[in-house]
Amino acid sequence: MVSKAPGRVASPDSLGTLLKRGAESEIRLGTYMGVKAVYKLRVRKEYMHPKLDSMLRAQRTRREARILLHARSHGATVPRVLAVYPSMGLIVMEYIEGATLKRIIDENTSKPPLELVREAGRQLGILHRSGIVHGDPTTSNYILSDGGALYIIDFGLADFSAEIEDRAVDLHLFRRAVESTHAPVAGALYKAFLEGYLGIMGAVGEEVSGRADEIRLRGRYVEARRATAWRFLSEG
Amino acid sequence: MVNAGTQNSSRRSEDELIILGIESTAHTFGVGIVSNKEPYILADVRRVYKPREGGILPREAAAFFAKEAGSAVAEALREAGISIRDLSGIAVALGPGMGPVLRIGATVARALSAAYNKPLIPVNHAVAHLEIARYATGLHDPLIVYVSGGNTTITTHVAGRYRVFGETLDIALGNLLDTFAREAGIAPPYIVGGDHAVDRCAEGGEFIEGLPYTVKGQDVSFSGLLTAALRMLKRGARLSDVCYTLREIALSAVVEVAERGLAHTGKRELTVTGGVAANRLLREKLERMASRHGVEYAPVPRRYAGDNGVMIALTGLANYKWGITVDVERAYVRQRWRLDEADVPWYPRLPVE
Repeated sequence: MVSKAPGRVASPDSLGTLLKRGAESEIRLGTYMGVKAVYKLRVRKEYMHPKLDSMLRAQRTRREARILLHARSHGATVPRVLAVYPSMGLIVMEYIEGATLKRIIDENTSKPPLELVREAGRQLGILHRSGIVHGDPTTSNYILSDGGALYIIDFGLADFSAEIEDRAVDLHLFRRAVESTHAPVAGALYKAFLEGYLGIMGAVGEEVSGRADEIRLRGRYVEARRATAWRFLSEG
Repeated sequence: MVNAGTQNSSRRSEDELIILGIESTAHTFGVGIVSNKEPYILADVRRVYKPREGGILPREAAAFFAKEAGSAVAEALREAGISIRDLSGIAVALGPGMGPVLRIGATVARALSAAYNKPLIPVNHAVAHLEIARYATGLHDPLIVYVSGGNTTITTHVAGRYRVFGETLDIALGNLLDTFAREAGIAPPYIVGGDHAVDRCAEGGEFIEGLPYTVKGQDVSFSGLLTAALRMLKRGARLSDVCYTLREIALSAVVEVAERGLAHTGKRELTVTGGVAANRLLREKLERMASRHGVEYAPVPRRYAGDNGVMIALTGLANYKWGITVDVERAYVRQRWRLDEADVPWYPRLPVE
């Protein structure tokens, strides 16, 4: 899975046109062995010691690739990994041509694409069942390919976890995302999403969705966390 | 609105508001006096409890505060050149903090309020750290990194209150540094000449592998780092290398969650506040991160990084203007008064505006 970096990807500028620059990485569109490919490059963080920076980039690149492979082998619709260069912080993935779920919802506000949102929930269920949490399942991170398959993308914050809490955070994040970007139809969207999710996850899914409701009520705050911090201070 | 009938008042104009603020949540008993007119800050008196060994003993600190409180208040009034009758109100940090010391500050404030018939103004200590950073930097709507002995929080104001975007899952940054220094036998004293014991011992150190870096989404975790660093020392690693690496990892993790916070919230301004905000390396790292993203960055002046009475008076001033006061008999301390439980209705105006 780990390939030696060929000379022609040595400089980020040769990787193709820039699609997106995030806090963590740059996404470029190019080609790999003749097919359209996405180059995801974790950028250097100048505020870190170079050793720490390269260690983290390699670690995170390796983990993201491993998660993508794991998800795919367990039936989730995620981009195929074409190549991984941990020391460069680079993953090359298949490019999914299509429209984001966000755009599709925005363009169909009078008739929200509920079946598609149900599929989005199913896809998250398949991920969770395989032991992965996504970490950022917003409607911008689902793409309906021109071939008609719904992909989940961007596993930059994903992790291996089967914890109810971590899974519930995913549901919560999806709900928060639809509430902030598609407010008028958020209720119907989340309901459809949950139907798809529960169809895969069953009884465990019910527990996860209950926990997601709790998270929503408590906001992001866990009293116990504070209690720990203060206990340390007063024991001083 | 203002009790202007006092004779021989040294207040310079009828609409001047002057607030005395009392800080008493941890190791500092602070008395600050602030006006809504320039030069705004009229007095800043601090009495700091320094444990001879180990960490803060709340009861010992409380005894020290009780002994110092009266003279600190008198000194602040002298420094401001006013009489207690000139005050518009008495502000006090009712939490969060340690019970025994919180109660000293609250008792003093209640007594002054009742004896001189001045409104009593409740202030959240965490909000005060954030507000003095905005006041001193002039940044109206920043993402704020709040780091101290008991707090590691990335916060921003949304809909009337400060909200927590990211935080520590276990111990705070200051607590990590203090505990490591104590266990490694290089503190107390924790701070000398503005630098922490861990900073001093990191001099000449090099980055070594093997210590864990833990950022989970928007949160950091330090307890694993603390344990691993102490274990490494025990196994004979060079102290300066462990100090250097521990500091590098902990500060980088905080800067990274701040970076994620900026990306997520879209804020264009960044500041850092709280006791650990005085740390030079942290300030430098934040500056480098901010400049990469084209974000305006200004840290709280080092003088106002740590606990002080000025920030309580300043926040008290804004609270007072917005009608937030409390009856003396209901002014209870709240050891775990969360940041997001205090209203900040004047935002994005600065507290003196």
